[in-house]
Amino acid sequence: MSKATADWTRVGDRFYRRTQLYDSIFDPDLELENYIVTGAPYSGAVALYRDESKIYSFRGSQTAKSSIDLYSCAGKLIRRITWDKGRIVAVGWSEEERLLVVTNDGTVRSYADLQSDFSPFSLGHDAEEYGVRGCKFWSTGFVALLGNNKLVAVTRYDEPRPQALASAPVGEVISWTVIPPEYTSSRSVEVLLAVDGTVHVVDAAECEDRGLQAGPFRHISVSPNGKFISLYTDDGKVWVISSDFQDRLSEYESKVKTPPKDLQWCGNNAIVLAWEDEIHLVGPNGAASKFDDYNSFVHLLPDIDGIRILTNTVCEFLQKVPDSTEEVYRVGSTSPGSVLLDAVEQLDKKSPKADDNIQMIRSNLDEAVDVCVRAAGQEYSVHRQKQLLKAASFGKSVLDLYNSDDFVDMTEVLRVLNAVRFYEIGLPISYEQYIRLTPERLVQRLVNRQEYLLALKVSEFLHLPVDRIYVNWARQKVRSSSTDEDSLCEEIVRKLNGKRGVSFEEVAHAAYDEGRGKLATELLEHEPRAGKQVPLLLSVGEESVALDKAIESGDTDLVFYVLLNLKKKMPLSSFFRTINSRPVATSIVESSAIDQDQELLKDFYYQDDRRVDGSNLLLSEALAAGDINAAADKMKMAAKLLRDSKDYTAQVVALEDAQKLLRFQEAFEKDLNEPFVGLSVNETLSKLIKTGNMKRSQKVQTEFKVSDKTFSWIRLRALVSRRYWIELEELSKGKKSAIGWEPYFNEILGAGNTKLASLFIPKCTHLAMAERIEMWLKCGLANKAGEEALKAKDRNALEELRTKATGSAQLDIDRMIAQLQKGR
Amino acid sequence: MAAHPAAKVINTQEITDKARRDLLQLLEAVRGKKNLVLERSLAGTIGLFVKFSTLQEYGVDKVFFLENHNVDSSQRNVIFLLRGDNAKTVRTVAEQIKLVRSESKIDHEFSIIWIPRRTRVSDMVLEEHGVLGEATISELALYFVPLEQDLMSLELESSFSDLYLRKEPTSVFASATALMRLQKQYGLFPRILGKGDNAKRLADLLQRMRSEEDVNASSDPSKTYLTSFGLTPSSVVENLIIIDREVDFPTVLATQLTYQGLIDENFGISNNQIEVDTSVLGGAPAPPQQQTGTAQPPTAATKRKVPLDSSDKLYPSLRDANFATIGPTLNQTARRLQSDQQNIKQQDQSIADLRSFVSKLPSYQAEQASLKIHTGLAEEILKVTRSEVFSAMLEVQQNLLAGSDPSTVHENIEELIARDVPLKTVLRLLCLESCLSNGIRSRDLESFKRQILQAYGFQHILTLADLEKLGLLVPRESHRGYLNPIAGAAGQTATDWNAVRKSLTLWIDDVQETDPNDTAYVFSGYAPLSVRLVQCILQKSYLFGLVNTRQGNTPPTGGGWKGFEDTLTRIRGATVDVTQKGHDADASHARKTLRGSKEGPKVSVVFFLGGVTYAEIAALRFVSGQLEKSSWRRIVIGTTHVISGDRAVGAAVEKRKFVE
Repeated sequence: MSKATADWTRVGDRFYRRTQLYDSIFDPDLELENYIVTGAPYSGAVALYRDESKIYSFRGSQTAKSSIDLYSCAGKLIRRITWDKGRIVAVGWSEEERLLVVTNDGTVRSYADLQSDFSPFSLGHDAEEYGVRGCKFWSTGFVALLGNNKLVAVTRYDEPRPQALASAPVGEVISWTVIPPEYTSSRSVEVLLAVDGTVHVVDAAECEDRGLQAGPFRHISVSPNGKFISLYTDDGKVWVISSDFQDRLSEYESKVKTPPKDLQWCGNNAIVLAWEDEIHLVGPNGAASKFDDYNSFVHLLPDIDGIRILTNTVCEFLQKVPDSTEEVYRVGSTSPGSVLLDAVEQLDKKSPKADDNIQMIRSNLDEAVDVCVRAAGQEYSVHRQKQLLKAASFGKSVLDLYNSDDFVDMTEVLRVLNAVRFYEIGLPISYEQYIRLTPERLVQRLVNRQEYLLALKVSEFLHLPVDRIYVNWARQKVRSSSTDEDSLCEEIVRKLNGKRGVSFEEVAHAAYDEGRGKLATELLEHEPRAGKQVPLLLSVGEESVALDKAIESGDTDLVFYVLLNLKKKMPLSSFFRTINSRPVATSIVESSAIDQDQELLKDFYYQDDRRVDGSNLLLSEALAAGDINAAADKMKMAAKLLRDSKDYTAQVVALEDAQKLLRFQEAFEKDLNEPFVGLSVNETLSKLIKTGNMKRSQKVQTEFKVSDKTFSWIRLRALVSRRYWIELEELSKGKKSAIGWEPYFNEILGAGNTKLASLFIPKCTHLAMAERIEMWLKCGLANKAGEEALKAKDRNALEELRTKATGSAQLDIDRMIAQLQKGR
Repeated sequence: MAAHPAAKVINTQEITDKARRDLLQLLEAVRGKKNLVLERSLAGTIGLFVKFSTLQEYGVDKVFFLENHNVDSSQRNVIFLLRGDNAKTVRTVAEQIKLVRSESKIDHEFSIIWIPRRTRVSDMVLEEHGVLGEATISELALYFVPLEQDLMSLELESSFSDLYLRKEPTSVFASATALMRLQKQYGLFPRILGKGDNAKRLADLLQRMRSEEDVNASSDPSKTYLTSFGLTPSSVVENLIIIDREVDFPTVLATQLTYQGLIDENFGISNNQIEVDTSVLGGAPAPPQQQTGTAQPPTAATKRKVPLDSSDKLYPSLRDANFATIGPTLNQTARRLQSDQQNIKQQDQSIADLRSFVSKLPSYQAEQASLKIHTGLAEEILKVTRSEVFSAMLEVQQNLLAGSDPSTVHENIEELIARDVPLKTVLRLLCLESCLSNGIRSRDLESFKRQILQAYGFQHILTLADLEKLGLLVPRESHRGYLNPIAGAAGQTATDWNAVRKSLTLWIDDVQETDPNDTAYVFSGYAPLSVRLVQCILQKSYLFGLVNTRQGNTPPTGGGWKGFEDTLTRIRGATVDVTQKGHDADASHARKTLRGSKEGPKVSVVFFLGGVTYAEIAALRFVSGQLEKSSWRRIVIGTTHVISGDRAVGAAVEKRKFVE
């Protein structure tokens, strides 16, 4: 077993290590220098495609066929996508291992997982016209540089929407890169363009020249945490500056004439320069180290915590030695962790020094255990993982109190990591990457590689849901299996049934996409969510089933959606027939048609024989109509609809009355030159009275059979409102009133005419004496009130009045009291 | 451990905070200055959780109302913030995007934020108009908006007409989604109880959603945390009580007699705010806040916005009281404030006294300002309640509610029509009669209809037709066989009010308004049926004692509707009683232990489908107060929106006239 520090290299005051992950990666015949290689983040798959700009020897038509090949890091071919559409300008990956292929005409093909078919989208008109020169990808999007120096950004792939960024300066872009939105202060993507001697920063809103002079810059690269930028100048220097362009952090002179092929970050504190078969590692403060032991062309695949180096024969991971590892393994380290590790070795040798060691670090033992656990996570070698965990285990057995959660978690994680790092799987994921990627997405990657069994085992081991794995398995099964539909359906259902949370809809969708409509329908039967079945049912032409399912789901949006689709597809009559038997559908059609499509509604009411509704619709149109004649016509039609049946006589009469009223009002407007249209019968009456047209008002009253009571009220209120006292006084002479006389008193009193109001008091004969006294008092006529009391011979009332009365009224009341006494 | 305040159990503040955070995040996602286009009805709702000044901090330059069609091109970024349920709104958006694009020279970035979710129909309509690709589309999952600590509303203004007029179940689905979200946070409602056909529909939907949730959660990779254990019954929420508004229309139609109720009747509270003429209260004390930027018309000068919520010093203690007691209370407060003021003027005070007084000064001033507002409002309301028409109307209403023969009040109603009182007042009385006696005699109804058409215009043929569709104003004969198109066969179609009035004591003659002992105080005699139904579940022994004063019967025990099943069969609509258990008994047990809430306060969520009135809220708060005293339990009210009688009949009233 080699020493842990064997592959360490010192750069400045830091250590870096090269871990060989896999060997004999590619066919030795594969000329890697003629290929462009990109790797998915978090040690994902690697895409290779031939660099068209390179000349290569012809080796028969087979190899000449253009293709994009997807390999695992261990060199296992996952998929070969044959390519015959346009020239590829860029291939990139998203965080969830979605492959994106951009051609020079601005077409983007997005391959969701490693297996399925692509979905295309376009970068827009400009891209088509000027061509795409290159693309830079980040975890969830990319920016394309067009032939006219315009920049187009796509920030999400589930619904890609190319957005033009602010216009960039003219001039040749020597190199460029992007800062992902999550690391910029504006939270939107920023593009760094090296043009002439300087760098421009472009975002959605503006383009700013950062005013550097040292250019032109051959390479520009942003650190994984977005904080630093490295630049490679024409004179062979590497600069590192902060991403806000405020601080210059370090400088390194490569002393090489030819500019490197590639410049990438290795973690956040070192840069890797790559030439054909040599790389330079530049650490902080310009310290550097050279690696030139590669025997073939080198490709760099940067990741968040290091960089993968790919050649024909090896796949390496170059990273800064993690702190915990350094603490434990550094030569001459006296840290507690290192001592603890030593103690275990001594223990194996049965040496008493083991205990000495423990005693030495007794006070920091828990820290030592923690370090060993963490360091174990950073190891790729199973042997050293065991060694470290053993040390940790020994350490914690000595401790009285120790929380073992971290230890247990780490052992679990390591089992998973070792399993996926196995060369047949080829996911050499580091601990750091695993934490960032999350276990769920790691399982997804296994599923993408069709490693269903391992995915299941891992999920069960980590207590993760397994339904996605089954669904993916079933989808793949549907795609690739050639067995007959019935037995396939049966097999899938048998496997998937009873598993919590399994979505049959997705499987059915996959079947549908494969053109296996019958299988899709069969599978859909098993989908528990009614709503989810709907879109697919629509696609396979099961419209009425889709409608029923939509209604079942209770989601009106879905129902409406199906209805809109149905309306497009069906003749109107069968559409009506379909909704007729489904009340929810009917009401949704009705309520949406009310403000969109009244004609449809009319047809519907007609077909359904809903006369009142139809008639009301016409009435509503009459209200909307601009002029009286149109309104009257509509109402005529409305009445006509109802006339056949006896049930609606009242409404027919009302509609006719409405027309009659309009005609009256029209005439009044002509005669009186006052606006009438729009008033109700009562309002018309009131207005006629107010304007002194009693004759006309009486005609309206008889014409519309307005009751005397109502008419009296209208007349009273109209007269009072206009203060027509004379007319009111005239009324007081009447013998009978349909509404009694009290309202007259109240209304007139309310208008402030006490004198006139008092005229009505004697007419309120049905009221009690006390009430009448009150009325007199309200008019300020205490003496009249007194007379009332006197008439009733109520002495108490008189006494009470006396206290309220003043002046002459008081005297009057005194007189009345006397009179009452005398009379006794 | 002392039981912590029940308010913390369902923390409505959290909902407010989350809504604000989510909205601001969406705004932040659009870089630079932006113009915001809102639906008019959303402006107030949004104002409940975020201030305009905050929006400005997040780059909002101008605010437009969608309805005004006046979006200009002053900013490159235009954000639409709208409800996505309505295809009409979507179409308007599409048209405006097209318009701005064609008129403006610059390249605009459009974003649409749908509330509460992006709908398929919206996508389809946008696609038809060719603008789907033009806009960045996102959604703001805004469901419940807390109006108060114990009151959450979906603020779906149209849900009453949607449910009962158009029979369209959109708001049932929205309610179910909102309640489902509540369940996701607090656990399953252990028991769902309810009354009414729509309540049944809602409960069914909740159960369906629960079973679908399992699948949903796992097919959404961002929500993997839920999948491992699924939903378990809540340990803090005791039950959910769903009241379908249809079960109890009379309570909506009756004039509310609490302070808040009367404010709503007279000024119309919307989003915890009223607009009052400056003649009533005087101008606003501070320079008027420019709440919605340019969208606010300058006419606001004569109107003043008055916020009515618990931030007010006096309002919380006033709002739920019967209006009759408001005068004395305000008097007392005024006197107290005055004596405080005199204390400071007259006596020689030590510096310490002075300091304590000064420290109280801000609250004292706030109290005084609040007093001024409420005296002003109370006076204004008093003007109305003292009027002859109001007492005539109230007389009719109370007679009907108390169960007198409706024909005795017909003459009064006719007089009210002749006197040209507002149409809605008349309609409310007629509808009340129709609802309480299962329809009005055909001949009488025809005569009333004729009078209404003559008095208020023939366009109200449509109003009357809609009222019939709503089931508010129907002829008696047809009512028995009246079939709600969606209702199907479930439950009864009509309520036997006379029997129910007796068995649930809906009318109390000697009601105490000042120191209430029964929920009947909110209508000065009538105890709302909806609240009685809640009491059937939560205050069994009280209600039982009320009915069986003489017999020594023992009150019913047990949960749910137990003890009142007979009465329930006499009330229209289906009865709901569902017990929800977790998939995994261990998990729910574990959860219980984890929460450690063996004796913690329990909450009952009362959800009103189709709206709740302020009077009912007052009554439920009264019940909640009693529960809290006796058993640390409490009520949280949820609703689709707050409704009043005017708004209910307003759903039917035709607003257009014949015009030239």
